[in-house]
Amino acid sequence: MSAATQDLGTVTRFRRFLVSDHVAGWAFILPSVVLIVIFGILPIVWGLILSFQKAGLISPEREWVGFENYARIASDPKARQAAINTIYYTMLFVPISILLALFVAHALNRKIALIRFYRLAVFIPVVTSTIATGIMFLWLFDKNFGLANWLLGKIGLGPFGFFEDPNQAMIALVLMTVWGWLGFDTIIYLAALQGVPNELVEAASIDGASRWTTFWRVTWPMLGPATLLLVVWSTISALQLFDEVFFVTHGGPLGRTSVVVFYVYRLAFEQGLGSLSLAGYAAAIAYVLFLVILILTLAQFWLGRRVVHYSS
Amino acid sequence: MSSITAPAPTLDEPIDLTHLEGETGMVERPRRRLLPFDPWHLFLAPLAFVMLLPLVWMVVTSLQTKAQTLHFPPILWPGTPQFVNYLDVIRDSAFGTWFWNTTVVTVLVVASNLVLCTLAAYGFARIRFLGRGFIYFVLLATLMVPLQVVLIPTFLIVKQLGLLDHLGALVVPNLVNVFGIFMLTQFFRTLPIDLEEAARIDGASRLSILLRIVVPLSLPALATLAVIQFLWTWNDFLWPLVTILTNQDAFTLQLGLATFQGAHQTQWHLVAAANIMSMIPLIVLFLLAQRYFVRGIATQGLKG
Amino acid sequence: MKARLLIVLAVIGLLVPACTGGSDESSPTDETASGPVTLTMWHGYTDAEADWFNGAIDEWNAQNPDIQIDPLFVNNDKALQKLTVALQGGEPPDITYQFGSSLPQLAGAPGLMDLTAWTQQPDVGWDDFIPGATQAATFEGKVIGVPALIDNLAIVYNKTLFGQAGLDFPSDQWTWDDLRAAAKALTDPATKQFGFSYPMDASEDSVWHYDPLLWQNGGSILNEDETQAAFNSPEGVEALQVLTSMAVDDQSVYLDIQNSNYTDIFNSGKIGMLMTGPWDLPSFPDVDYGVEILPGFDGDHQSIAGPDVWSVFDNGGGRAQAALTFLQWLTAPEQVKTEDLATAHLPIRLSVAQDQSFLDEFAKALPGVDVFAQNLENVEQARPVLAAYPQISEAMGLAIVSALLGEKDPQAALDEAAAQTNDALALGG
Repeated sequence: MSAATQDLGTVTRFRRFLVSDHVAGWAFILPSVVLIVIFGILPIVWGLILSFQKAGLISPEREWVGFENYARIASDPKARQAAINTIYYTMLFVPISILLALFVAHALNRKIALIRFYRLAVFIPVVTSTIATGIMFLWLFDKNFGLANWLLGKIGLGPFGFFEDPNQAMIALVLMTVWGWLGFDTIIYLAALQGVPNELVEAASIDGASRWTTFWRVTWPMLGPATLLLVVWSTISALQLFDEVFFVTHGGPLGRTSVVVFYVYRLAFEQGLGSLSLAGYAAAIAYVLFLVILILTLAQFWLGRRVVHYSS
Repeated sequence: MSSITAPAPTLDEPIDLTHLEGETGMVERPRRRLLPFDPWHLFLAPLAFVMLLPLVWMVVTSLQTKAQTLHFPPILWPGTPQFVNYLDVIRDSAFGTWFWNTTVVTVLVVASNLVLCTLAAYGFARIRFLGRGFIYFVLLATLMVPLQVVLIPTFLIVKQLGLLDHLGALVVPNLVNVFGIFMLTQFFRTLPIDLEEAARIDGASRLSILLRIVVPLSLPALATLAVIQFLWTWNDFLWPLVTILTNQDAFTLQLGLATFQGAHQTQWHLVAAANIMSMIPLIVLFLLAQRYFVRGIATQGLKG
Repeated sequence: MKARLLIVLAVIGLLVPACTGGSDESSPTDETASGPVTLTMWHGYTDAEADWFNGAIDEWNAQNPDIQIDPLFVNNDKALQKLTVALQGGEPPDITYQFGSSLPQLAGAPGLMDLTAWTQQPDVGWDDFIPGATQAATFEGKVIGVPALIDNLAIVYNKTLFGQAGLDFPSDQWTWDDLRAAAKALTDPATKQFGFSYPMDASEDSVWHYDPLLWQNGGSILNEDETQAAFNSPEGVEALQVLTSMAVDDQSVYLDIQNSNYTDIFNSGKIGMLMTGPWDLPSFPDVDYGVEILPGFDGDHQSIAGPDVWSVFDNGGGRAQAALTFLQWLTAPEQVKTEDLATAHLPIRLSVAQDQSFLDEFAKALPGVDVFAQNLENVEQARPVLAAYPQISEAMGLAIVSALLGEKDPQAALDEAAAQTNDALALGG
C-alpha cells in the first residue's frame, strides 16, 4: 500500500473507532460513572480499609488488625441475633410487599370513579415521614389503647402486644414497612403495566382465555423486568433496614428487632466512639452484609436472565 | 360511574381498537351487575382508608392546641380547629427559607438525575461496549453498602471539594442516583428494539434515537423516576444534618422540622402542621405525574 | 481531565486524615483573639428554652462586639453523631451541648479543651456548681465540660386520682412499700388505669430509674476500682425486686416499651404516679399534680442527677479563650437565675439553689419545680464516667426490662448483666 492509502486506512479506522459501540457506550455512561466513583466507590473503599483497623470515630488513632474484626463476628452473639432478625424480616417483607403491590397495581389500573383518589391514597404513605408513620403505628398497635386491638377485640381476638411483645415486634415492623413501601412498588408496577400492549390481551381474551389465564400468560411475563427490579431492590433495602428500627423500636424489645445496620450504627456512633474504638468492627460487619447482598443480587440476576423476558 | 358499558365484541364485526373502554392491559367485559358500583371499590375503599390513616391523624393533630396533643390515646376531634398553627409555623420559624432551599436542591437533583440516568441507562441497555456488565455491577454494588458506613468518607470528600455548609453539599453528591440507572435500564430493555434498529440503519445517531424514539416511549418510567427522586431528596434528613455545620440559612425542611423536636418536649401540633405543608408539593407532583405513568389508550397505538 | 483531578483530590483528601495521628487535648492558651471572633455554638433548645437562649445570645452579642456567638440548632439526640462526623472532617464547632453520658466518648477527641486549669480561676466559681454536675464533667481527672443543665428524679403524682381513691398524698417519709401499696390501690384494669409507670425501652432511661433504689439500699453499680460489676449484690437484687413485684405480681405498672407515651397517658389521667424529672412538668397541663422526693430504704432518700455540659473545641485564633469567657458569663449566677425562671431549668449553682427568695420566685414559674430544686441536696452519687459505660448501660437495661416483663428472675437477670459488664470492663473501659 502506498503511504497515502495507509494514512486513509488509519483515519478510517480511527473514525470507525470513534463511532464504535465502545466509545459510544462509554460516552453515555461516563458522567454518571465519574460521579459515582467519587461519591460512591471511594467512600466504600475507605470503609473497607476501616474494617481492617481498630478505630474509633472520635479520636483519629488507627491500628491495623487485619482480619481480627471479621473473625470477631463469628463469636459475637449480638451479631448473630442481628443477622437472624434481618433474615427473618427480609423473608417476610419481600414476598409480601411485592405480591401485594402487584395486586394493588392491577386494581388501580382501571378507569372507575375515584380512581385518581385511590392512587393518591396508596401513594401517600410513601410521602409521609418515617417519624410521623412511626408515631401513628405506635398508637395503632398500642397494647392498651390502640385502635388495632380495639377492632380485634370486637371480633373476639385477644389483645396483641405488637411492638411490645418480643415475639410479635418484628411482624408489626413488617406490617408497618409493607404499608409504607406499598405505594412505591405499586407505581413501578403501574408504570410497567402501561407497557403491556392491549392487542395481546385482547387477542388472548378473544381466544377464550379467562381473566386469570390472560393475566398469568400475557401480562405477568411482560412484568418480568419490573418484578426483577423490585425483587432486587426490595431485598437490598430490606437487608439494610434502619430508619424504622431507629425511630420506632430502637432494636427492642429485648433486642428482637435489632437488625444488622442498626447494630452497626450503635457500634460506630453510640458505643465505640471513644477508646473502645469499635468503628472498625462495625465496618467489618457492614462489609459482610455487603457480601451477602452482593451474592444474593448476583443470584437474582442470574435467575432473572433465565426467566425474565425482554422484548429485544 | 358506569365505565363498563361497551357491548361484548362478537366475531361478526371487526373490533374497533380505538374505542375500547378501560385502560391498557385491561379488557373490560360487561358482567351481570350484583352491585350498583364496580366491585373493585370494595377492595380499594378500605385500602385507601388504611393508607390515609396517618395523614388524617396528622391533619387532626395539626389543628389541635398544644395541650390537646398531650393526650394518649389521642383526642381524635380537636373541637375548634387551630388553623393558626400553620401561621405560627410560617411566622415563627424560617419556614420560607427551608422551603426554598429544599425546592432548589430537589429540582436540581431531579433534573440532573433525569438527564444522567437516561444517558447511562441507554448505554447499558442498548449499547454493547467493553466492560459493560462489569461496570453495571460495580455501580449496583454501591447500593449495597449502608449509608452509615459511607457517611464519614463522603463527608470528607464533600469537604475537600469545598462544599460544606452550602446547598452544594446537598446537590453534588446526589447528581446521579444508581437506583435511577438501574430502574431505567430495566425499562429500556422492555421496549421493542425494531424502531431503534430501523433508525440506526437510516443513519441516525444514538443520541437522536434516544431523544426522539426511546424517551417519548419511556414517559411512565421517567415520570416515576422523577417522583421517586423528588421524594427521596425532599425528605432526606441525615445527609443535610451532617453537612450543614454552621449555616442555619442552608437548612432544608427536614432540618427545620427537627427544630420543633426538643430533647424532652416536642410541639406536635406545629410539627404536624409543618409536615403537612411540606408534603403538599409531593402530593401535587404525584397528581401531575400520574398522568404520565398511567396513560390512556390513545397514546398506546404507537407500539410495534 | 478535570474529572481525574477531582478524583486525585478526593483520594488525597481521604488518605490524609486516615494517616495522621491524633493531637492531644489542648489547654486554654493565653492566646487572645487579635480581632473580633465569631463562635459557632451548637445547642438543642426549643420552644421556651429557645426563647430564653436566643435572648441571652442577643444580649451578649450586643454587649460584646469582639466575641460574637452564632448559634446553630442541633437536636440533642443527634448531637453526638453530628459531632462525630464533624470531628472526622476537622470541622468541630467552638462550643457544643452534649449529654453528660457522651463525655467519655468525647474524651479522646482532637481539639477538645482540657478546662482543668481554667476551673481553678477564682471568678469561675467552680465549687459553686452542683457537685453532681462537676463530677459528670470530669473524666479521668480532667475537666472537659462546663455544666449546662442539671435535673434529678422525684415522684410526680396525680392529686385527683389520689383523692378519688381516698389515699394520702406521698410524703417525704414514704418507703418503697408505701409506694407499692399506693400503686396497687390506684390500678384498675377495667378503666386501664395504672398506679405507676416505668420506661421499658432498655435504654439508659430504664437504668437510671433503677439506680436510686440500688444506691438507697446500699448497693453500687461497680466496685471501688471500677473493674467489676457490683449491682448484682443482694442489695441490688432487692432493689430490683421492688420494681418487679409491682410490675409482675401487682400488675400496677404501665410498661412504656417505647418510652414516649407515659407523659401523654399521665396527662390523660390514666397513671397515678411517675418517677421523673422537672422537664416533664410542662407536659401535664391537664393534671392537678404534686411533686414529692423519692421514697426511701431505711430513711435514705437519695436521688440521681443527669447533668449535661457545654464542651469547647480549640479551633485556634484565640477562639477557645473567647468561648470560655462567654461560658463564664452564661453560667454566672445572675444568668442562671434568669434562665431558670424562664425555662424551669434547675439551678446549676449552689448559691442559687440555696437562695430562698429565688426558690420562692421559682415555684411560681412552674408548680412543683421548687421540690426538684431542693431535691438536688439528695443527689449524692453519680454514675461511673467510663468509656465502657454504654455497654454497661445496655447490659443493665436489658436485665431490668426482662425482669420487669417477667421473662427472667431478678437475680439471674442481674447476674447475666454483671458478666457482660465485666467483659466490657476487661476489654478496655
